[in-house]
Amino acid sequence: MEPIAPAVIAPQLEIKRYTGIMDWLTTVDHKKIGLMYFWFVVIMGLVGGAMAGAIRVQLATPGAVWEVVEAAHLNGTDVPFNLFSENRHLYNQMVTMHASIMIFFTIIPGFIAFMNYIVPIMIGARDMAFPKMNAFGFWLLIPAAILMLTSFFVQGGAAASGWTAYPPLSLQGMGTNPGQDMWVFGVHLAGVSSILAAINFIVTVTNLRAPGMTWSRLPLFAWATIFVSIIQLLATPVLAAAVTMVLMDRNFGTTFTIASQGGDPVLYQHIFWTYSHPAVYIMILPGFGAISHVFASFSRKRIFGYISMIYAIGAITLLGFMVWAHHMFSVGMPTILQAYFMYASLLIGVPTGIKVFNWLATMWGGSIRFTTSMKFACGFICLFVIGGFGGLILAMVPTDISLTDSYFVVGHFHMVLVGGSVMLLFSMTYYWWPKMSGHFLSEKAGSWVFWLMFLGVFVAFFAMHISGYAGMPRRVPVYYADFKFSNYLTTVGYFMTFIAALIFFVDLLVSYRRPKITVDDPWAINDIQQSLEWATSCPPPVYNFAVSPPIPVVEQIAHRGNNP
Amino acid sequence: MMLRAGFLTKLTMRTMLVAIALCLATAGTSVAADTAEVDRYVERFNPDIFQLDENGKPVHEMKNAFSSPASDIAQDVATNNWFNLFVFMPFLILPQILLLVVIFKFRDRGDGRKPATFMTNHKLELAWTAIPCLALVIVSVPVWELLYKMELPPTQVDTNNPDQATIVKVTGRQFAWDYEYKHENISIGTDAAGLQEPLVLVLGRTTLLNITSNDVNHAWWVPAYGVKKDAFKGRYTNTWFTPTVAGVFKGNCAELCGPGHGIMFISSVVVTADEFDVYKSLQRHRADTFKIWNQLQRGAGETASDADLKALVTKYFEKDASDGRRFALRYWIAANFASLRRKPQDRALHDDVIRTFQSKRDQLEQLIATVLSSPKPVASAE
Repeated sequence: MEPIAPAVIAPQLEIKRYTGIMDWLTTVDHKKIGLMYFWFVVIMGLVGGAMAGAIRVQLATPGAVWEVVEAAHLNGTDVPFNLFSENRHLYNQMVTMHASIMIFFTIIPGFIAFMNYIVPIMIGARDMAFPKMNAFGFWLLIPAAILMLTSFFVQGGAAASGWTAYPPLSLQGMGTNPGQDMWVFGVHLAGVSSILAAINFIVTVTNLRAPGMTWSRLPLFAWATIFVSIIQLLATPVLAAAVTMVLMDRNFGTTFTIASQGGDPVLYQHIFWTYSHPAVYIMILPGFGAISHVFASFSRKRIFGYISMIYAIGAITLLGFMVWAHHMFSVGMPTILQAYFMYASLLIGVPTGIKVFNWLATMWGGSIRFTTSMKFACGFICLFVIGGFGGLILAMVPTDISLTDSYFVVGHFHMVLVGGSVMLLFSMTYYWWPKMSGHFLSEKAGSWVFWLMFLGVFVAFFAMHISGYAGMPRRVPVYYADFKFSNYLTTVGYFMTFIAALIFFVDLLVSYRRPKITVDDPWAINDIQQSLEWATSCPPPVYNFAVSPPIPVVEQIAHRGNNP
Repeated sequence: MMLRAGFLTKLTMRTMLVAIALCLATAGTSVAADTAEVDRYVERFNPDIFQLDENGKPVHEMKNAFSSPASDIAQDVATNNWFNLFVFMPFLILPQILLLVVIFKFRDRGDGRKPATFMTNHKLELAWTAIPCLALVIVSVPVWELLYKMELPPTQVDTNNPDQATIVKVTGRQFAWDYEYKHENISIGTDAAGLQEPLVLVLGRTTLLNITSNDVNHAWWVPAYGVKKDAFKGRYTNTWFTPTVAGVFKGNCAELCGPGHGIMFISSVVVTADEFDVYKSLQRHRADTFKIWNQLQRGAGETASDADLKALVTKYFEKDASDGRRFALRYWIAANFASLRRKPQDRALHDDVIRTFQSKRDQLEQLIATVLSSPKPVASAE
């Protein structure tokens, strides 16, 4: 069949009923929705980061710990600066909201932004399978975020029981302080948004692949999207159930979690972690998929071990559902269960290790261009391996009993979430921003962003490991003077990271003033990658491809390996 | 009197030497020496965990299970942890080295070198799947034994024998811990100023904790002991360990429990069996000292009324005028003053207490001396 010229098909597809702001408010185009997700995430990331700043400023010194006040009074010096001395409740609100915003409104939607924008193009589709549902999913996040952020201003303030909302603490203030209820509704809305997105991605990747885009040619990012969507679809309702139990106990007189009336607070923890452990893979797997493309592109090679990469993601997905109780080794569960959860948790290290070695093998023998995107990808490997190592240490039950709920855990999950997921998000942004906006981000500023971010993350979160190892518990506004130095380091690291984020934010805004990219393949990588998103303009037209794009007949496993 | 000997034998030799030395130093004023001894016991049984030395370093350092284990469990945890670290270390180091090699060896130098085209290598992939699995098998064997050891104390320990086991019911509440010793029948929690009292344990005596909560979830954690257990309302959790090092150990509540979570500090003191006997005796007389304490600290500025105080002290010694009881009264007054001094919230009270502490104490010491030296009111009919 003769391909139809874009000039012919464009007028039919580019039906615009509105322009300007109304166009954005009513759009169902996956690219515009992806961009809206992206900007939403950038703004929420800055808000959540600012909250982390409040926490870190408080923790820069031992704070109101008595010996410091004491010493200050005895020596006649000033009492050290203490942001939350009068209001430790506000500190707990900050801790809770920092986590909630970063998880539900930054990292999870951050990956959804790219999945929305890139995956349909990668598989040669014109849009998502359910464009209106896609838009609905995004617009649900706005009220969710508003609910959570405005809860600071209601009586009793925002939720202050941690993002885990363990009852009975989360039941305190029932009937009078609506902050916790607003948090629950926020989680509900974010959860519905997640589930809708998951269904949409599964249907899209399954049904809307261009002719010739077989499963064995599907890009790894699309594979990761499938697996992540499965996790979201299966796990998120469980979270909704858990927080609904809290909501019901608070407002409708049920006793799911009230021990004195036959309920069980430990049951809540089990149900909560049944979601929240798979959720940590929601927060990293899409990046695992995407980063493979970054490594391959800038090494001028094809992805090493395509098949084992898919199996590894699949294995992580499966195992991720079976290890939830390693978050709660200190609740007092039977030893045999502890042993099971320990071995299962350790096992996750194997597929993760496979992925790391595959990425290294992808780079091996390549001709590597260190663009900012590639720097972030390499920085990701370095930090993620450290974070993963912490995970192995934590999986061992006897050690974990000493370290759980300490700053070691905080250091571990920040190392894998900031050193992992956020580094991945930065790498993906630098890689795909030319495609998404039609403008390059500054490589020079990017170098600053990367080095500040990389060193800041390393310093901040490595020091957290040390604090926890020395015995500092998490979620405390004050601490023993023993932990002074490592906490000071963490705060220094935080400021490096936050400055990097601000530079990045300004650069994002400035990028729109740079010259428009006129080629399809601005990184000059597609001769080897043959990926469809680089086969259309920057940014792509509304219809992505005028006709079903030709799928390059490059089997992902074509070349049997010679030893490198 | 003859009661003196029975009590003093329980003090250690070292204490007596210190007391004698202090005695000599203060030119034979035995009251001063005794006061120093009382203070020493206050510091021993209720140390100030926030105290800083002149360099701003904590006097009682935080100790953790890995670098300074203080119990048999912590020792095993530390050993196990070092072994695991040793086995896992290659998986931390190797990727970092490979990453550095890749970065420096395969960067694009613009010399037109053709990138490699290999995409799989089954042998290599098999290797980096199988070797980590092998490492997991290696670490999973020694940990198994430790896991079961941590579950229950050894069977040869007779938990009904107070000389072999200390059983403590630990109850968390917002924001302090209450301890009930089962064999010794002691209940402690917060002291006169509302500060957390330390859990006093015996060196080498197996300690079993039954942990529960009065309100929200807490977690009892003293890092040096290598144990941590959550506290739930309506549920008991258990843990055990045997302290192997004497000293002061700091900890903290490890489960978010509300605004005061950060200040829900824990301290624990490990003492010898002899010292623990002194501690038990002190606790036995504790409740009786409350009235005197209340009278003494009332009206921060003024001195307490001599007559009222004398009546109370006389009443206190009516029941039993042993040295142990006398020591207990002096101990608790000193301990209560010490804890008031530590509490930072009441700055006004703080300065006042420091100012009047010595005079009030002297007042009490004289009273005690007077009451005990005066001929006993021929008391009971029997």
